[in-house]
Amino acid sequence: MRIRRAPFALALVMALSPCGADAQPDEASSADSTAAAQRPFVPGGYNDKPYIEGVFGRIRVGGYVEAAGKWEREDGVNEELGVELTRMNLLTSTDLRGRVQVWGEIEFEDGGEEIVLELAQVDLLLHRWMNLRGGILLLPIGRFNLAHDGPRNELPSRPLLATELLGSALSQPGMGAFGQFGDPDGDRLTYEAYAVTGYDHRIIEESSVGTRLPAGRFNREDSNASPAWVGRLEWSPSRRHAFGLSGYAGVYNVHTLDGLQVDERRAVRVGAGDVDTRFLGVRLVAEGALVEVDVPAGLSGLYASSQGGFFTEVSRAFGSGWLAKLPESWFTAAARVDVVDFDRDLRGDSVRSLTLGVNVRPIPETCFKLAFTRGERRDRFNNPAEFATWVLGLASYF
Amino acid sequence: MPSPRSTRSAHALRLVATGLVVAPLLALGACDRMLTTAPDPGDLFDAPLDGLTSAEQAAFVEGDAQFGRPFAIGEGLGPIFNNVSCASCHSGDGRGRPENILTRFSLGADLLLDQGGPQLQDKAIPGAVAEQLPVGVETSRRLPPPVFGMGLIEAIPADSILALADPTDADGDGISGRPNMVTPPDFVPAHEPGGGAGPVLGRLGRKAQTSSILQQTVDAYHQDMGITTDFRPDEIANPQASPATQAADRVADPELAASAVRSVVAYLRLLAPPAPGQMTAQRELGRQRFESVGCAGCHVPSLRTGPSTTAALAHRNVPLFSDLLLHDMGDGLADYRSDGNADGREWRTTPLWGLRIIRDFLDGQAFLLHDGRASSVEQAILLHGGEALAARDAFAALPPEERAALLDFVESR
Repeated sequence: MRIRRAPFALALVMALSPCGADAQPDEASSADSTAAAQRPFVPGGYNDKPYIEGVFGRIRVGGYVEAAGKWEREDGVNEELGVELTRMNLLTSTDLRGRVQVWGEIEFEDGGEEIVLELAQVDLLLHRWMNLRGGILLLPIGRFNLAHDGPRNELPSRPLLATELLGSALSQPGMGAFGQFGDPDGDRLTYEAYAVTGYDHRIIEESSVGTRLPAGRFNREDSNASPAWVGRLEWSPSRRHAFGLSGYAGVYNVHTLDGLQVDERRAVRVGAGDVDTRFLGVRLVAEGALVEVDVPAGLSGLYASSQGGFFTEVSRAFGSGWLAKLPESWFTAAARVDVVDFDRDLRGDSVRSLTLGVNVRPIPETCFKLAFTRGERRDRFNNPAEFATWVLGLASYF
Repeated sequence: MPSPRSTRSAHALRLVATGLVVAPLLALGACDRMLTTAPDPGDLFDAPLDGLTSAEQAAFVEGDAQFGRPFAIGEGLGPIFNNVSCASCHSGDGRGRPENILTRFSLGADLLLDQGGPQLQDKAIPGAVAEQLPVGVETSRRLPPPVFGMGLIEAIPADSILALADPTDADGDGISGRPNMVTPPDFVPAHEPGGGAGPVLGRLGRKAQTSSILQQTVDAYHQDMGITTDFRPDEIANPQASPATQAADRVADPELAASAVRSVVAYLRLLAPPAPGQMTAQRELGRQRFESVGCAGCHVPSLRTGPSTTAALAHRNVPLFSDLLLHDMGDGLADYRSDGNADGREWRTTPLWGLRIIRDFLDGQAFLLHDGRASSVEQAILLHGGEALAARDAFAALPPEERAALLDFVESR
């Protein structure tokens, strides 16, 4: 009975709360000191961070840190019980004469075991309609990959679609254009289109559990003389609503060497759609993706040629200013459904989960989170393994 | 200006409201069932034997990890192979599905090594070429068998099994089980169970063509995954393809150390069989009919292990329902391909233990007999022939309720 009443009690508190999502400072202004009133190109993205201004002249620096205590059980057995420094990211940017902007981000993951240059891009600002970008950039496949900072996320874990299907954070060397049409502060259409190095052969050759795009995401040098193409269109009728469509296509394997053809050209194609909208005080964030991979004939049946997944997250802010000594504070309750099918031609090889969480932001830049996840993985035989995870996380910009 | 009392009340109200949000979440997450529960070890194919020492449990856990370890191409998979890990063929350590079926081929006593025999590797890494079945060969399609209880089977004294043999049917019961005596490869030493100069009793595999878990493991790595080991350090190759394709596997050989192989051997040796179901009146009737119609002539309900340096394997009853001998199963089940001393009509009596939960690990289905052609125990029985013909006919002649009781008994093992 207690379990059955829980959602009702949750809903009751939400409904009676004197402040709904409106109490949550808008993303565009909550933690943005650089863009001022200007609407960021990607809310929560590379140019929407709480930088410390003016260090070393025109260079801005900042960063964020994420840590978590995790208790994970699978089929009644403790798999993990410990604390981890999930990641620490150092951010920097500079603006040169209003025409050139340089953005950088270095990520230290798993306590420093993995260090990645996640962002190193140079933007040449030409016109609102079209600007040029080059360097190591975040691939616009879905919105989450573009705006994934821990302090922004309502739940301590990232969506499975991002981490297990697409390999977020996904950044690669690339070059291309971006811009926007319409009213910069109202109804607008933004686009990004780049040539990038793309996923590489490791999606097959370094993955032992079937096709996995994350295994081939760290493609920092061209490996096959075949750039991949990625782009995203976002229609945002106001600051509160955004609808995006993304596409990616590229050859992943090495098919020519020394001018000789050594293999067929095999491609990865990804299509993704995303939504970020607010209505009736509730924020809805959702993203889905379909992946197609040309698998070598000798591996068909073991490596997936078709994958897919989605996540849907709803959240609602409440309790703004309830913490008497922290007038900027607010709480958020959130729930997310994750589904990833690693092989759409099989009944198994999938994972799905439901995450319920609540967090408090004592100040806009910092978030303490508590979440419970219950899910199920299925192997290629469709045998289930149930898992449950408690995570107590904290994330803060600095 | 609000009074201190009203401010305190407001704070208390907010505290309660926040608690109403957090408490259900905590309650939900604290519920033991929501935190997942461990299945009963008796309902698994991959549980350890009771009574293992700490050192044996440590070896079991390490072997479990190795058994489940999938190999990537960059880790040595291939160049030609069938699957990426042990666990990829044996669902939950039980039997496989038709998608995992293996095809063995040969011609008479010739294993056709020059044509890629004795096993068809139908997968290949990029740059290599998967094998095609040569024309005019004898083939045998076999589902991966369960791997639990192998240590117990190995610990049954050979004399106990040989005592059940009746190759000339001297007792005239129509059942003439005979052993498959095999010669172990050189890498199986005499101190290893099933090892030595040979010939020794074969007891593993569909035709009892293998005598030791070590050989079974090494050959599975080699033939099924294309993983070379200290025991078999040379890659398999597709002789039908250009020799240049053999260079596709760029990982230095051997790709797996002997210690990893031995940990898998230890794991397999220490795997327990699942627990049988409770006996009921109907099942007791079924047990009686199982014996009276003659099923127990080959599916011997229980054998006993001898002494073992692993205490958990020593002097234990082994309710496997098999005599581990070869029997002529008739034309219907014949593959007409010899395997060692086993001819094309002979199969080792398949153990029946574990049938109770077989569907739990095959997505609700049961793929019975050597190639999975039977979808139920009844269908499997009715496909028996040869030495089992009399028992099959006796089963078919049972009244429906007695047939149901016999099936219930078998499916509860």
